Amino acid sequence: MRARILAILAYTGAALTLLIAVAVPFVLIGAFANAIGHAGLHIDATYSGGTVARTIERNGYRIVVYQPVQPRLLQRSEPFVQVAFEPADALPAQVSDEIDLDGDGRPDVRVSFAVPADPGTPLHGSVTALNGKYVSLANVSGDSFSRLLVRTGDRIVLRIPLNREMAGR
Amino acid sequence: MASRSSTLAQPAVFRGVGRSLLLTLPIALWTLLMFTPSFQRAGRDLHIAAAVVILFMTALFFLMMRTGETYRWRRIFFVALGFLFPVGFIASLVAERGTMSIPLSRMVSGDTPFCFMVTPTIILPAAFARTIIFPGAILPTATNTRSIAFMIGLWFAFTLVLGKAWCSYACFFGGIEEGFAAFPKRRRLHRFVTKYGGILRLIPWAILVFVVLLSAAILEPVYCMWLCPFKTVTEFPAVRNVETAIQFGVFVTLFAGLVVALPLLTKKRTQCGFFCPFGAFQSIFNKINLFEIRFNREKCVDCTLCQTACPTVALSKDSIREGKTLLNCMKCGACVDVCKKDAAVWHLKGTPVAVKPERARLLFLYGAWALAVMFGGNILAGSIAAIIGFLPWK
Amino acid sequence: MLGLTTGPVCLASCGPVVLPWMLVQPQGVRWHSRQLLLFLAARLAGYLVFAAAVWLVGSSIPHAWSRRSWLVGGIQVLLAAALVVYAAGWPRRRCALAQPSSQLVQIGEAPRPRTSGALALGFLTGISLCPPFLVAGVRAAQLAHLWAALLFFAFFFVGTAVWFFPYLSLGFVQRTPAVVTVARMVAILLACWYGLSGVSILIERAFYG
Repeated sequence: MRARILAILAYTGAALTLLIAVAVPFVLIGAFANAIGHAGLHIDATYSGGTVARTIERNGYRIVVYQPVQPRLLQRSEPFVQVAFEPADALPAQVSDEIDLDGDGRPDVRVSFAVPADPGTPLHGSVTALNGKYVSLANVSGDSFSRLLVRTGDRIVLRIPLNREMAGR
Repeated sequence: MASRSSTLAQPAVFRGVGRSLLLTLPIALWTLLMFTPSFQRAGRDLHIAAAVVILFMTALFFLMMRTGETYRWRRIFFVALGFLFPVGFIASLVAERGTMSIPLSRMVSGDTPFCFMVTPTIILPAAFARTIIFPGAILPTATNTRSIAFMIGLWFAFTLVLGKAWCSYACFFGGIEEGFAAFPKRRRLHRFVTKYGGILRLIPWAILVFVVLLSAAILEPVYCMWLCPFKTVTEFPAVRNVETAIQFGVFVTLFAGLVVALPLLTKKRTQCGFFCPFGAFQSIFNKINLFEIRFNREKCVDCTLCQTACPTVALSKDSIREGKTLLNCMKCGACVDVCKKDAAVWHLKGTPVAVKPERARLLFLYGAWALAVMFGGNILAGSIAAIIGFLPWK
Repeated sequence: MLGLTTGPVCLASCGPVVLPWMLVQPQGVRWHSRQLLLFLAARLAGYLVFAAAVWLVGSSIPHAWSRRSWLVGGIQVLLAAALVVYAAGWPRRRCALAQPSSQLVQIGEAPRPRTSGALALGFLTGISLCPPFLVAGVRAAQLAHLWAALLFFAFFFVGTAVWFFPYLSLGFVQRTPAVVTVARMVAILLACWYGLSGVSILIERAFYG
């Protein structure tokens, strides 16, 4: 009797497995993907740049300043702050700007880079730190996660390292 | 069905053509259904590729039914997938950005496709810090359809059906070393593998625990950044400093050693069986999967042909004595096909062992092959279309 | 509060050290409780040593990464060595009697793993200079009295230590030869990681300042 019940359960399970296999492309992938998509997860700040701190409006474009991203224990990467210029198509051919990164009302860095007409052309720029909290960069391009000037889609992303001695890291 | 007593080298006993065709019909219909969207899309290359794959997958399944063997025909599909996937993938990378290396802009923009091999390492950080420690997009975007949610959803659905048979029917990397393992006629390091197999098959578990713990501690995907041999045939972070140069060197060394050289020497899937932490992770799901391979102790004569044939050392003398495989069995069917006494059989948990094993095999194969067509088949079609596109007379 | 809120960070960052080491210990919640308490006691000792140093020397230790990185690199190398010795089990103590006769009767219990492992690993993880640790260090350095700094760190320790008690569940894990072998392998891999990381930090400091 027990063997019979087990066998019925086994074949029922096998049939369900087949059903799952058939339902995968039509229902299941979408259902699981939606569940994960709504689980409140976010991409690590090293890749995403962190959360938005403030937006600064300029003439025809805006500068989005993010919260500083600190490395964790055992990570040797630098702390950095991400700044995004968007939309890239509305930027002037030469961007030169002083930006308040920490929201204290005083500019912290002076940024300068050319915006090529071809979106595929690598970007090069410079960052001059106006105080000791940030690190100046000469000819920054796609160097590292913490020293970066790249075009991604319709925006230009710049990452400026924080001075480790000052950042308490 | 005539009694089946065949080895991989000896002629197989065949099932009738009519019955084989009848059993193949559901798979043929399923394959047509899966490739209908390909025919609806523009592109003669894709139509040709889809037609080739439909015939290919249906024919292989027919041969599985006709001969009663699994491993030989499954391996043809799997090796084709392993070698053709990098071709199609690299072709798409070169067409898009002219290089296999991933620029940082791609990682920052969230356009990096998600690889299922990183799944175990992202679980703890996702559970405790709600952070995905991998570049990409959570939900599909216009520029990244292989988003994190989609790929994890796909992996989960496949794992429910296959368990560790993912490594035999879905993984588009395993076929590479299975191909190299098939080339030589003789095994050269057989004694070494036999003597140390018990230790060697624990290494993937150690690497799994190592990458999971360390990735949770430092919130970086350690396996992807330092240990994945398949970066060599897909995409890798651009070499721009000493650290990335070392990483690239490690990837190439591991690929050359574990995926090419050792399979040629041992005729085993050495990366899969002795290194891959994702394989160890998938082994856990064998505990809940309904399908397995068992041994009829009344018929078994301890000839150890099954142990020799097993590509991942998933059999030991003790396990065979208990009538079971080890947890890392990937249900490839090699041991079943090589057994001269029909002692190794497919089994559905909850049913008596060696009673109607062919029924268990069929139930398993329908699910596994359906997913293989859906996933691997589409990858094959894309790669074949890419190859056709490169042909000189086009 | 600082300890309680940063405890998960400690749990995750100490996990790679604690888990393989505990899995090579014999099975049993009582034994694990003793080992964990020794580990935490040594960790507390590390915390208090750091608190005293920070209070006496000032807050320059937390702030100056260039100075701190020597410590971090050195600690990681020592941690690697400790993992090799206490978790991977090298070098093994060799018995003078290489091939004991089967007629010899074992008197008493089999030799236990050394408790010095708990003390060494606990102390080294205790002075690991993680960011929450440094935040606590900054606050301690600003306190008026040494005993206040020590007390602050003691409470910080209590907050983080609470998060370690789930490791006791490892006492229930069956110690099959496979589990112990895997734990040893993990310890070796982690030792390689910490060792390489520590050495590269030290080389970077030595050559690039």
